[in-house]
Amino acid sequence: MKKLLILPAAFFFFSCEDVIDIAVKDGKQQLVVDAWLTDEVQEQQVVLSLSQAYFDQEKPLPALGAEVYVVREDSTLFRFNDNQGKGVYTYTPRNRNFLRLNEKVGLYIKYAGEEYYALSELKRVPTIDSLKYQAITLPIKPEGSPQSGFLAQFFANDFEGEGDTYLVRSYKNGILRTRSDQYTLSYDGGLSPGSKSDGMLFLQPVRMGINSTLFSHQDRVTVELHSIPLDAYYFLYQVQSETNNGGIFATPPANIPTNIFNRNPESKEKAVGLFFVSRVSRYTAVIDENNVKPED
Amino acid sequence: MRYILACFIGLLLGHPSFSQDTFTLSGTVKDVSDGEALIGVNIYAREQKVGVSTNVYGFYSITLPKGTHTLVMTYVGYHQVEKEIVLEANTTLNQELQAEGNVLEEVTVTAEREDHNVKSLEISVNKVEMRTIKKMPALLGEVDVIRSIQFLPGVSSVGEGSSGFNVRGGAIDQNLVLLDEAPVYNSSHLMGFFSIFNPDVVKDVKLIKGGIPSVYGGRVSSILDVRMKEGNSKKTEFSGGIGTIFSRFTLEGPIVKEKGSFVVALRRSYIDILAKPLLKEDLKGVKFYFYDFTAKGNYKINDRNTVYLSGYFGRDLFGADFGFDWGNATTTLRWNHVFSNKLFLNTTLFYSNYDYSLDSDLKNENKEDVFRWNSNILNYSIKPDFTWYLNTRNTITFGGQSILYNFNPGKALVVSGGEGQNIGLHSKKALESAVYIGNEQKITKNITFNYGLRYSFYDYFGTPVAYLYDEAAPPGERKPLLDTMTYSGNESIRRYGYFEPRFAVNISLNRSTSLKIGYNRLAQYIHLLSNTTASSPLDVWTPSTNNIKPQLSDQIALGFFRNFRDNMYETSVEVYYKTLHNQIDYIRNADLLLNPYVEGDLMYGKGRAYGAEFFVKKNKGSLNGWVSYTLSRTERKVQGLNNDEWFLSRIDKLHNLSVVSIYDISRKWNIGATFTFMTGTPASFPTTKYVWQGIAVPHNYSDERNTYRIPASHRLDLSATKQNKHALFGKGKSEWVFSVYNVYNRRNPFSVYVRQNPDDPSKTEAVRYSVFASILPSVTYNFKF
Repeated sequence: MKKLLILPAAFFFFSCEDVIDIAVKDGKQQLVVDAWLTDEVQEQQVVLSLSQAYFDQEKPLPALGAEVYVVREDSTLFRFNDNQGKGVYTYTPRNRNFLRLNEKVGLYIKYAGEEYYALSELKRVPTIDSLKYQAITLPIKPEGSPQSGFLAQFFANDFEGEGDTYLVRSYKNGILRTRSDQYTLSYDGGLSPGSKSDGMLFLQPVRMGINSTLFSHQDRVTVELHSIPLDAYYFLYQVQSETNNGGIFATPPANIPTNIFNRNPESKEKAVGLFFVSRVSRYTAVIDENNVKPED
Repeated sequence: MRYILACFIGLLLGHPSFSQDTFTLSGTVKDVSDGEALIGVNIYAREQKVGVSTNVYGFYSITLPKGTHTLVMTYVGYHQVEKEIVLEANTTLNQELQAEGNVLEEVTVTAEREDHNVKSLEISVNKVEMRTIKKMPALLGEVDVIRSIQFLPGVSSVGEGSSGFNVRGGAIDQNLVLLDEAPVYNSSHLMGFFSIFNPDVVKDVKLIKGGIPSVYGGRVSSILDVRMKEGNSKKTEFSGGIGTIFSRFTLEGPIVKEKGSFVVALRRSYIDILAKPLLKEDLKGVKFYFYDFTAKGNYKINDRNTVYLSGYFGRDLFGADFGFDWGNATTTLRWNHVFSNKLFLNTTLFYSNYDYSLDSDLKNENKEDVFRWNSNILNYSIKPDFTWYLNTRNTITFGGQSILYNFNPGKALVVSGGEGQNIGLHSKKALESAVYIGNEQKITKNITFNYGLRYSFYDYFGTPVAYLYDEAAPPGERKPLLDTMTYSGNESIRRYGYFEPRFAVNISLNRSTSLKIGYNRLAQYIHLLSNTTASSPLDVWTPSTNNIKPQLSDQIALGFFRNFRDNMYETSVEVYYKTLHNQIDYIRNADLLLNPYVEGDLMYGKGRAYGAEFFVKKNKGSLNGWVSYTLSRTERKVQGLNNDEWFLSRIDKLHNLSVVSIYDISRKWNIGATFTFMTGTPASFPTTKYVWQGIAVPHNYSDERNTYRIPASHRLDLSATKQNKHALFGKGKSEWVFSVYNVYNRRNPFSVYVRQNPDDPSKTEAVRYSVFASILPSVTYNFKF
């Protein structure tokens, strides 16, 4: 919605942005947990690092020497190991039974004498039925991407029953679009809880959210639809708003709540980040200009 | 209560003047050239040393002992009139005043009587004459009421190009913006760049920041009272202007000679028309314009009855295949009735509506995927206001108001893959009413009181469901829903009522010096939900409910007023302290649009604002204008924010300096210059960042708000006006206005925020965002036939 408003304002006014230097207070280093697991049979990662001063341009320091476990409802423990010594703790499951649908799953981390835990749950995900695309020429050429090309959209239906939350992201020729403005969040197939679109075909802005730039002939498009728990929906929603928060309609900056807790609530050491698990549907298509109806 | 009433009556009746043999002189004062009623003309009875001013309809009433009196009528910019009258019965005296010169050449900063600021009871009141506003340099040459009042002490905005204005630490929804007595819910075109008031039909602009009299209520910070022109009642006149953004046309004239007049005015932006030939095929369909239409008529039925009908309709449209439009509409019907030459009644009926709508597909080509959404706030009101000119020492005002609100917070149609669903929120209704009484009383020669009481009451009803939330939930988090209550028809859900005492005193220290004190309590029952730096047209007004309590404010102001050199210079110093209760704030991730549980996303806190305002104004001579400086602080305290401690509000401005000057070089040329300096707004920046899935997430370790400030803003604007002898074909009058906004090309920050470098995501940086970051010259041509 915000983008819609900025558009007319930018249309004929003279707003501009430039990079300036500001001095900010330092904060304390905190453990950062980046743990997004799926139930797929491939290497699963829990990345542990340390937070750093905002304008520190070095790579974040890894959090080494931690003990990392994932625990299932039936008390089965999976140990994640940092084999490379880079703070990337991994485990490769042997089958899809590693995480189970509608079951809770816990994360346990012991680092620098402190114990942390987090909980998540594996939710259902609908299959993607198809992917369609249409030719389009934009009125103004965007910087660094073509003016003419194809807009793609995927088709899938939200499940009946309120409270399904999703993340949609896409790959162009095998490259995942990772920026915070390149994924789309969905609540019951709409953009937010208010859209009341439960059980419907995913709404158009969600279906078309995969086009952060136009696709070209012969591009290989992969769409990923993840079921995510509600706390991850809000976390990712706030990541988008906190990292794209400029202009005249900015909201007050706020810290993003974490679901990683210190086992000792009295401890001054608090972690940041998020742990969640998701199920994923994928769909891949190759854009073929001969297969598309021409522009009107 | 009974005690107060007894005192009140005692004060009135106990006066010796009551028993004297007295008569009342009343009438209206108008401009001789166009018949416009003049507001605030001073009528002074020299021998008795008493005076009154005309009200907003040009009406006055003064009670004097039987005998001969010398009446002096003064009004800055007009020739003084002295009249000897023999008063032997109640008398009607209508008077016309003549402007001192060609109106276009007239340079006066105030239309008030010269020592009005010292003598009047008004504290914390600023008036800017339209003639001054028209000579101040304007953004892109578009004369703008709201931008001009931002040069007054105690007034600021969150940044260039933002909608609305902030008065003494108040939010934009805490200003009651009245256009001919009807409230305007969004005073901006184009997101806030221009205000909706067409300067060609505005007659009078008055901003009341404190000591608010009991006749006003409904907002907790200020009243902006904008009055429209009545239209020339002597001859038909056509005027207009061609500017960079708008074209303006105004037609005014008599309806029946000396009986009534009308004025109609139209403004339209035309960048879209100019751009059309330059646009390519695929942009041809782009709509982007805004317009407003203002009309007013009045008719004098007889000496005792006059009716006025005025209306405003404005719209902003933006779209191509999709559409987005918003605007206000107001209609006001007023009836002035003079019961006797001591009792004046104005009854106002008004209708006001603000609405917006969004449509994903205006041409309705794609039936498979549709999104249509609209929202509005609509209200009707009746408002009788009596003025009883009891005697020379007491002027009593009393009356009431009832406003029926209908809120549509959002209705939408969503169609996805051909399957449709109506979504949206229930409408809500509220009835806000008030009764008030006030008296302006001369206690002694040097002390005047204005005291009053307003009682406002409110009923929330007309919605089928109300929700109960867990208020004990952790502050700052979304409140869980505890219960849903259902209601039928117009069953009342929640009522509120508040006494709002008002008080002001003027202690005259000598002829040119006075000390004033003002106190007011105000209640506000409707609120604009907005969590963005600048308000957007999508923001929704919400009533007070079982969860949202009315906002309250208490303010005390103390002012010292002194004029120098025979009123050539007016000076004042005011200090104020204001507390605000039930201030709305928002949880992180607050979802304010189309959310039935929006009340669970709100938090309530308190606010305080205090400051000192210094004001020097030069009224006469070829150079005039003012300097205003405000030193102020605005803070908030909300459970769940900033570790539950007081923090600087987003609208806090420590220093705010404005200089406005207008200089008459010759009869042909005059120039205007304005300068402004403001402390940067408070800002929050992260201390640290953490990388999550390759994204650098900002984080504030101590979770503190608004501990930084963005750099200060300052700007110089210039204008020059050249009068031409004639407009077209050797007729009429015309002028060229040249203006330059942001003369020294300052890149003032609107905000500063942090981000990942878009080209190299491993780098993080701070970005300054500026709205008008370059010199903006413009030319406007105005004419009048």
